[in-house]
Parts: sequence; C-alpha cells; structure tokens
Amino acid sequence: MTRAEFLSEMDAILELPAGTLTGGEKLADLEQWNSMAMLGFIALADTNNGTRIQPRQIVNCVTVGDLLTLARAEGAAS
Amino acid sequence: MHAAISAIEYHFPEKTLSTADLSAEFPEWSAEKIDQKTGIRERHIAAPDECASDLAVAAARKLFASGACAPGEIDYVLLCTQSPDYFLPTTACLIQDRLGIPTTAGALDFNLGCSGYVYGLGLAEGLVSSGQAGRVLLLTAESYSKFLHRRDRSVRTIFGDAAAATLLTAVDTPAPLLGPFVYGTDGSGAENLIVPTGGMRCPRSAESGVASEDENGNVRSRDNLFMNGAEIFTFTLKVVPQVVGTLLEKAGILLEDVDLFVFHQANQYMLEHLRKRLKIPAGKFELAFSDCGNTVSSTIPIALQRAAGEGRLPQGSLVMLVGFGVGYSWGATLLRWRAGTRV
Repeated sequence: MTRAEFLSEMDAILELPAGTLTGGEKLADLEQWNSMAMLGFIALADTNNGTRIQPRQIVNCVTVGDLLTLARAEGAAS
Repeated sequence: MHAAISAIEYHFPEKTLSTADLSAEFPEWSAEKIDQKTGIRERHIAAPDECASDLAVAAARKLFASGACAPGEIDYVLLCTQSPDYFLPTTACLIQDRLGIPTTAGALDFNLGCSGYVYGLGLAEGLVSSGQAGRVLLLTAESYSKFLHRRDRSVRTIFGDAAAATLLTAVDTPAPLLGPFVYGTDGSGAENLIVPTGGMRCPRSAESGVASEDENGNVRSRDNLFMNGAEIFTFTLKVVPQVVGTLLEKAGILLEDVDLFVFHQANQYMLEHLRKRLKIPAGKFELAFSDCGNTVSSTIPIALQRAAGEGRLPQGSLVMLVGFGVGYSWGATLLRWRAGTRV
C-alpha cells in the first residue's frame, strides 16, 4: 500500500473529503479519530498488509504518518 | 448413534430498543451512522423481572409447540448462559422443573458467551454418541442488557437479549452429522470483555457501583460490562481465519465445499471484514442481526433457524459454524443439514 493509498483510505475512515490528510496531522486534533476509526485502521492494516495491529501499539502513534509506519511494520502481529 | 439437530426455535423479549431510540439518547450519534457501523436497527431488551431462564423457557415452549417432541422425552438439558438466575442452584435445574422435563433427565449450566453454541453442540454429540442421552435440549439464553450502563453506547448499540432452543436427537448414521470440532481458549484476553464485579473475586459494593467516563465518552462502573472493542477485533482477526483453516483441514474439505457459513453474529463491521478476508462469497455468508443485535450464544441458532426457514438449507447442506468471543473462547464445527428439521 503506497502512502497516497493509505492516506486516501484514512480520509474515508475519518469521513474527511478525499485528499485532506497529508500525514502530519496529529491524531489528537482529529475529531473523528475515535474507537470506530481505530477499528477501521486495524482492518485497513490487516486487509492491505496482513499486519495485525495490537491496539496498545496505536496508543503510541501521535500522527497519521505514525499509523502508516505501524501499518507497514513487519511482524507487528504478536 | 450420533446427534442430529431436529428442531430450532428462538425467543426475544417484547421490549425493543431501536437505533432511533439510541440516537435520541446519544444525539452526537446519528441513527444513520449507528445503522451503518453496526448493521443493527433494533435490539430486544429483557424486562426488569425477566431473566435468561424466562427467555429460555419461552424458546423451549415454542419448540415443544412445534411438535418436535414433548418435554417428557427430553433426557438432558444443557443451558449456556452468563446471566444465570442465581449463583446456585443451577438455572438448568429450574428450567427442567418449569418445562416439566422428567426428573430422570440430566441438566447443567455452562458458562460461555459467543462460542457457547458450538461447545453445546460438541457436548450434545458427546452425550449422544456415548449413549448417555437420546434427546438433548440445548438452550442458549442471555440478558446482557442487565450488565450494561445506559450511558455506554459502545455496548448498548451492539447487544440484545434472546434465547434459543435446539433439540438434538440420536440418529443411527454411520458418520456423525456434527463435526469435526475445533476449539480454542486464551484466558489472557479475559480483561477485554468482562463484568469485573459480582463474583467471588470482587463482590459488588457501593464503591464498585460508582460510574466514570472513559476517554471515548462512555460511562460505566465496575458492575457493568466492559468491552475493549479494538482488542476484541484484533483477537477475532487473528483467531477466526486460523480456526476456519484448521477445521477445513481436519475435515479434509475446501472452503468452496461449504454451502453456508454461519459465524457468531457480532456486528456488521466485524463480519464483513472477516468475510472479505476469508474470501467467502456474500451469498454463502449468513447475516441475521439487524432486528436483534448481538445476542451472544444465541446468534448462531437464530441465524441457522432463519436460513432454514427461508429455504437456504436444502437437504444435505454443509454448514460451517464459528463462535468466538468472551474468554477468549472460540470453536468451530461443520453440520450436515437434514430435511425435516423443524424451524
């Protein structure tokens, strides 16, 4: 999954207009970053990279870009 | 002899909680959004004086009224519940008496949630094939709504109350009609779906009943049910594809050989993701929660009953059942559907 594809998918998960996210946004500043959006991100990583995200790993993410790094991480599943 | 499903019935409490009701209580969530995420438009809620046993008795009475068998013919009662009437006595014993099932029958409760139906079928097959029973009444019944804090939308949108009754009878067939079975348990996930108090480990107290708000704006006390949705989702993504693969391997069949998949009806979001991940065609994947929500151990029998009742289970259909959830606990099995099963 490319960075652009990931950001596009995250736009959809966060119900933002296409092309909104650039990666630098702080999750804490995104009103729609909630428990449902977290499930959407976990599903996205699972579907596209086969990466099984542990929710405690998400807590350490500060920006949207951090989520991409996590989604791409090999062996994120435990 | 082997166990065969001879009849299935279910019962919902009369009172309902619609998505519109929830939207009115939680104005920050639109009904449309709740519908879209959960796929649930209505849940049934037990009355204050209505317990799991009442729901189970109603489901069983429907089954007897269908002519499947008479209460006097039952020789074993299995009740799956996590909301029993009492710590003791065993709720299945109370149900035996209320239904007029002979005092020569065995009866027991087993405490499992969303995996419970598959485990119940496994227990029934064991009882029948070992000659211990000839007609097993498998009941699943929950009143989870009594565990939920009214300001906790994370669970109130999902769970509904219900009971189901399944009759398993001994039939003389060379091969089992149920099975093989695959089971799994991982108690390390216990804290992610739990009612923390009320048992011996942590009795309820004035202190445990004090509610507080979490980071997502949901309110609950330690006397209420807590669900860590993200952890449960992650567990499901890990376990369900594995258990499906293991069952197919154990049975020596391919995914394409299965006519219908009936998974625990958790919610639309989770099921749709699992279906796509496993590459199961939508037409072979049963969905039965929009009018009742996640009814825990009753979701699979409700879905099975509806599939059969609506003609989607012709004679000989091969059905895969997969239950997963609280514990963590999971189980999967295959069943061969028989024509003439009363639904």
